[in-house]
Amino acid sequence: MSRFMLRLIGGVGLMAVAAGIAAAHVTPPVVLASDREAVAGLLSGSRRYFVREVRLSPAERAAIQKQSGWTPNEDFYRFYLGRDDQGALVASTIFMTEYTIHGPVRVAVGLNPDGKVKGAQVVEITEETYPWVKPLIDQDFARDYVGQGSTGRYTLTDRVRAAGDSMTQFYGQVIVSLIQRAAILYDTTVLKRPTSG
Amino acid sequence: MNGIFLNRLPLSGKVFCTLYLVGIGCGALAAFAQAATAVGLSPGEVRASLAPDMPMTHMSHGQMSREKEIDLGQISTSAKVWIRTPLLIQTSHTHLFGMTLIAGLLGAIFLFSSLGEGKKTLILSLPFLGTILDIGGMWLTRFLWPPLSALVIAGGSLFALGYVLITVRSVYEIWLQKELSA
Repeated sequence: MSRFMLRLIGGVGLMAVAAGIAAAHVTPPVVLASDREAVAGLLSGSRRYFVREVRLSPAERAAIQKQSGWTPNEDFYRFYLGRDDQGALVASTIFMTEYTIHGPVRVAVGLNPDGKVKGAQVVEITEETYPWVKPLIDQDFARDYVGQGSTGRYTLTDRVRAAGDSMTQFYGQVIVSLIQRAAILYDTTVLKRPTSG
Repeated sequence: MNGIFLNRLPLSGKVFCTLYLVGIGCGALAAFAQAATAVGLSPGEVRASLAPDMPMTHMSHGQMSREKEIDLGQISTSAKVWIRTPLLIQTSHTHLFGMTLIAGLLGAIFLFSSLGEGKKTLILSLPFLGTILDIGGMWLTRFLWPPLSALVIAGGSLFALGYVLITVRSVYEIWLQKELSA
């Protein structure tokens, strides 16, 4: 075989290795529930549904950053509100996302009218993340945070910590932080503000 | 090229090129299925995944809050992936590297085709141009004008067209074409 061919095959081999490395970064998404399924589940008991979209003022962003260390950077946030026939609030839901090195983690968080956590559901992760998050879903991890408000304790409980290895715990903390952010957003933009629009 | 043509490769070279082309074809089919199920294949579906999220309440730019009654039917029931900016960055860098390397390997095989330089140049350019159009279209859809989502479909189609032309011609030359004089 000529030297030219050997070089060509060597180059092709290097490119193939590089392609493998590049492709190994973010795995395809795994969508566990549609938005409608999550909203319907977390707003169960509601008869009428509303969307409330909110923007944060610079002062509110600064206050949230100071309280939790999280810097909200979306243009606006969308709450889905469920009400009864008389218009009384039954519950609210918001979708929160964190972009990790393995891809996005998206969680739907249900909140009671007083801002306390009603429940949470992981709606989107990635193929790589799924085996780490599945033990948390199987254990109904959100149960441990039900009833907590924006100033609650959002650390891993022993039950969640025991659910899996260090990666499961890492993603457990990511999800728990998303639940806390939802509670903080509700507290800031719904409870502390008069209704408008 | 340099007197070496696909139909004059040793058996190992012919098998290597053929299996590579078949493997990439299988990968392309899997990628097609993934795109179809996770995002969709129409410009509208691509737009829905990529374009900036617009307020459902028609909240104006300076408005701090707005509420509107909706029907549950207005909330998406399809489990579609939302590609927001951080995911777009991740997707871009992996796909630009991955697709360009695939285009490079396809092009490297096709360099040894016996086609004329003009046709060869045009065909081996297609996967590269398709990649740039595909990923570039994603950014343009998100940040410039949502209807440019059509570019994503056009880019993917161009990549696929390039792959098909390269594969069909290469396999023909490797296994069916009679020996050419150098």
